[in-house]
Amino acid sequence: MTPLLDVLRDRLGLRGAKAGCGEGRCGACTVRLGDRTVASCLLPTVLATEPVTTVEGIAPPDGPLHPVQDALLEHGGVQCGACIPGMVVSICTLLESDPDPDEATVRAGLTGNICRCTGYQKIVEAALAAAGKDQP
Amino acid sequence: MTLSLTAAQLHGPTSLAEAVRLVAGGAVPLAGGTWIMRGPRAGDHVVLAGLAELHGVATAGDTVVVGALATHAELARHAWPPALAALRTAAAESAFPQVRNVATVGGNIGAAGFAEADLVPALLALDARLRLGDAGGAVPLAGYLAARPAGALVVAVEVDAPAGRTSGFARQTVRGGGEYAIASVALAVDRDAAGVVTAARVAVGAVEPVARRCPEAESALVGAPLTAASARAAGAAAAAGLHPRDAPDAPGWYRAAVLPAVFERAAARAAEEPR
Repeated sequence: MTPLLDVLRDRLGLRGAKAGCGEGRCGACTVRLGDRTVASCLLPTVLATEPVTTVEGIAPPDGPLHPVQDALLEHGGVQCGACIPGMVVSICTLLESDPDPDEATVRAGLTGNICRCTGYQKIVEAALAAAGKDQP
Repeated sequence: MTLSLTAAQLHGPTSLAEAVRLVAGGAVPLAGGTWIMRGPRAGDHVVLAGLAELHGVATAGDTVVVGALATHAELARHAWPPALAALRTAAAESAFPQVRNVATVGGNIGAAGFAEADLVPALLALDARLRLGDAGGAVPLAGYLAARPAGALVVAVEVDAPAGRTSGFARQTVRGGGEYAIASVALAVDRDAAGVVTAARVAVGAVEPVARRCPEAESALVGAPLTAASARAAGAAAAAGLHPRDAPDAPGWYRAAVLPAVFERAAARAAEEPR
């Protein structure tokens, strides 16, 4: 059974979602299926029966970045970048379902996205800022 | 040396009867795929997603019937009665969003070798029964786990939610959320008007290779109010009766040592639920 991630990266040339742990634990391969996030490394392609959104589809190719992407840059939330495509998809999905999250909700929403650079704080701050909760 | 590689063959049945027949013939049921995709993925698989009979949660009197394809996220969102709160908590605290969104209750039960399955201890404490895809009646979950009958398709899970019963679930991880539990505890208690426990069902997951009920802990809880002290005593009784497994995430002695604290948290949650 072919995982959705392989189809995205190797057949469709969409290299935003990353092959990380291959066990659905790190979140680097996170994409959206319908209105929910999934680990595309663990999703059999046969089950991808709803529209799939990868990080490439979050903002238009030559247009401005999505506010979540801007916030990540402004808050220093991007370091090596390996986790960021998955982070962006998770944060955008979280904010669509809950436009006014508190910090605990953001942290709970990102439990499936591991970052080994930032310590998460700047990413959480960026997510809150994208939700209009810029801290002084 | 002969090396044989077999590609996966996917079947997309259009009826439950066809799915039952395929599984009885040896094909592996495919629900959300989060367990199967970490294995060899070879052989025949039956894609269940298109079968409406396996979806949804229905209530008939005091009994709730959960379709095998209900995801952890759906179970976490569902408005459960207090008797079934342990199932909601187990679903909500299991793994993380990307997995909860697709991993199913049927898969959690059907995944052989998955000691850390969170829904299983919750369902054991709730005395769950399974509807299998045969003509027979529902069978106890505990019996299914012991025998794992080959070729049986889990169609739905039945749990009873009588008034006056409350339940709670807690899990311990080495790090923060998202990890497998090194020990999980589910308990469901019936209490009289004075708050004395008259019946208790307790199950422990992740400690032994397969989650199971703990009669020693159940006996320890009955006859007294549900307090932090009684929960800890029940946890100690459970630990004394279990054979904890050593694994890279935690040695067996540690799993046993944390049990009283995990019992206390599960009991506090059960006590919080309205009766």
